[in-house]
Amino acid sequence: MATMDELAVGQRACVGAIKAPKQLKRRLMDMGFTKGVDIEVVKMAPMGDPMEVSLRGYNLCLRKAEARVIELK
Amino acid sequence: MQTLSLIGNPNCGKTTLFNALTGTTAYVGNWPGVTVEKKEGVWNGFRVLDLPGIYSLSPYSPEEQLSRRYILDERPDLIVDVIDATNLERSLYLTSQLAELGRPVLIVLNMQDLLEKEGITIDEKRLSLMTGCPVVSISASKGVGLDQFKIEVEKALEENRAPACPLFSNFVEKYINALVEDDYLHAIPKGRQPRWAAIKLLEEDELFLATMPPFPEEFSLFLEKARQSLRDHYDDDVEAVIIDQRYKVAEHISRATQAKKKQKSPFNFDTIATNRFAAIPLFIAIMGGVFYLSIGLVGGITTEWLEGLFEMLGTNLTVLLSSWGVFPLLSGLLTGGIIAGVGAVLTFVPQLFVLFLLLSILEDCGYMARIAFILDRMMRSIGLSGKSIIPLVIGTGCTVPAIMSTRTIEHQKQRELTVLVTPFIPCGAKMPIFALMITYFFPGQWYIAPMIYLTGVLAVVLTGFIMRAFDRHKERTVFILELPRYQLPTAKNVWLQTRERTLDFVKKAGTIILLSSAIIYLLSSFSFTLQPVSAEASMLAIIGRLIAPIFKPLGFGFWQASVALLTGIAAKESIVSTLSVTMGEAHITELFTPSSALAFMTFILLSSPCIAAISAMAKELGSKRKLLFALVWQTGIAYLAALLVRALVLLIM
Repeated sequence: MATMDELAVGQRACVGAIKAPKQLKRRLMDMGFTKGVDIEVVKMAPMGDPMEVSLRGYNLCLRKAEARVIELK
Repeated sequence: MQTLSLIGNPNCGKTTLFNALTGTTAYVGNWPGVTVEKKEGVWNGFRVLDLPGIYSLSPYSPEEQLSRRYILDERPDLIVDVIDATNLERSLYLTSQLAELGRPVLIVLNMQDLLEKEGITIDEKRLSLMTGCPVVSISASKGVGLDQFKIEVEKALEENRAPACPLFSNFVEKYINALVEDDYLHAIPKGRQPRWAAIKLLEEDELFLATMPPFPEEFSLFLEKARQSLRDHYDDDVEAVIIDQRYKVAEHISRATQAKKKQKSPFNFDTIATNRFAAIPLFIAIMGGVFYLSIGLVGGITTEWLEGLFEMLGTNLTVLLSSWGVFPLLSGLLTGGIIAGVGAVLTFVPQLFVLFLLLSILEDCGYMARIAFILDRMMRSIGLSGKSIIPLVIGTGCTVPAIMSTRTIEHQKQRELTVLVTPFIPCGAKMPIFALMITYFFPGQWYIAPMIYLTGVLAVVLTGFIMRAFDRHKERTVFILELPRYQLPTAKNVWLQTRERTLDFVKKAGTIILLSSAIIYLLSSFSFTLQPVSAEASMLAIIGRLIAPIFKPLGFGFWQASVALLTGIAAKESIVSTLSVTMGEAHITELFTPSSALAFMTFILLSSPCIAAISAMAKELGSKRKLLFALVWQTGIAYLAALLVRALVLLIM
């Protein structure tokens, strides 16, 4: 299963399941990562991590370790 | 008095609205998490509360828990749900939770002025119809729409009607309704809404479950059956199901009320600011520019001139007072004590003004969150979070707000480590002592000032590495941060923030510094038997000599330095004023040598901060043991570093 950290800059994808401990999962979902939502990778930080994604009309940055728990459809 | 509480996502402009309403100048900035404490004010006979921003009522960091606890337990008369109008969908997710609390909710669409720029239109009437809340559009930063806001607030309080709760899918509603109708739900704590409680029970919200009496077995079984059924149907845990349902509601409303014209913004500053190659050089250039402009350029011009001014003032006053036949001790107290002491500090007002001005522009424009983004990777390798960089930058102005701003760091260990290292970054109040030493011992040597900041950064990195090496339980940490839109700082806000901080500095000069200078002067003029004596035989010298041997290895084992360091605990500015008072006619070059001057600067740079910052540390660390450790660590590092610096200089020279 592809996960969000594998996306390159400019790629779009659709969020599937989140496989993470309760707290992190809730946190990501509160920020809008729910099933079926479209996201786009905007940028990588200078050292390749964290990454910036846009979803639901706003921009968010998160580490690749967190992006790895977000599966794509 | 009726209470309004401002609540909304981080960085949606709650504090800007709070300031506009109450006429206060509470700290605002353009990154998520500027407000970390509850603030209270009065507006039009209402009590107004400004709460830290939250994305959801399931909070993660301590300042978010504060908002949740407040909104659930204190039950304000009106919930003012402040929404960043350019970010409607995610904001409505929080609204869907606020609507369930059984209190009236007023939706405030803030940043109206930005909508046009973004090509967005929002149908307010429809939004009001669909959410069941009155809606008002404002621009808090421009002060637009506040009259209408007032009318809506009064109307909403008058009607005192809670909005209808957002409805989820039939499958979910079936279980919520069954729970709401169960007798057991009458046992929920007073003031809680049955529907809200039912949802929390399904979600297994730990904070809520802890407030409930134990369940009867039958209820417990039913609840578990409901959860299982939801899990099976949606193939996910119940909490995720509810979040998903809420976002569906938010999506639905946002699509029905918002129209977006596609338009490409002509230029995004992030092309450079977070560019792979340019980002870090740009950050260094910006910070360097801030210090060069304030300390180098403005400081260089004004310091000498102001020093001359205060010196002239002192000399003239002495002549004048002696011509009036004023008692010499009193005249000495005025000129040698107060003017010398306060003057030594006030000399730095212009450059600090510029420093505060530039910092406030940085904070306002949206760049701070970008710094956290680009430096997270580096910060992580020393056990910190990208968010730790925000306190470090604020700390160049003042350590106290910097330490408070650590509260947005979710992970406790990272937060505490950030609190420990933030004081290593020299605050504005330490600047006078560096400038004084550089002027007399290293004139024209431009590289000394940047070296001071570098030493501070080095201490941060070193502490991080050591702490990480000794940390046996390396836990997984999280870094999730919203990147706010860039905005042009408003002149009004920049001016207010700058004025506030500069006045703070001046006020301190007029109170703490004035008083301590006067006391120091008197203590250095009398012996313990209250006989007027020379400074060398004064009680201050005797006290100072008790401590002085500790600093002998560092090269400043004379009583004046010890006393100056002691008064530095009250306020770092005092160090300079105490030195200028206690030295009397002697010159600073007779006391210090270049090597001991450098050691002195290093010690001040790294040793424990002033009492205000220490109490901020105490509050954030929350334990005496941790505070003591931090103070010992800082002072220990300071002592060793000063020793090392002196040894190196002696070796080289």
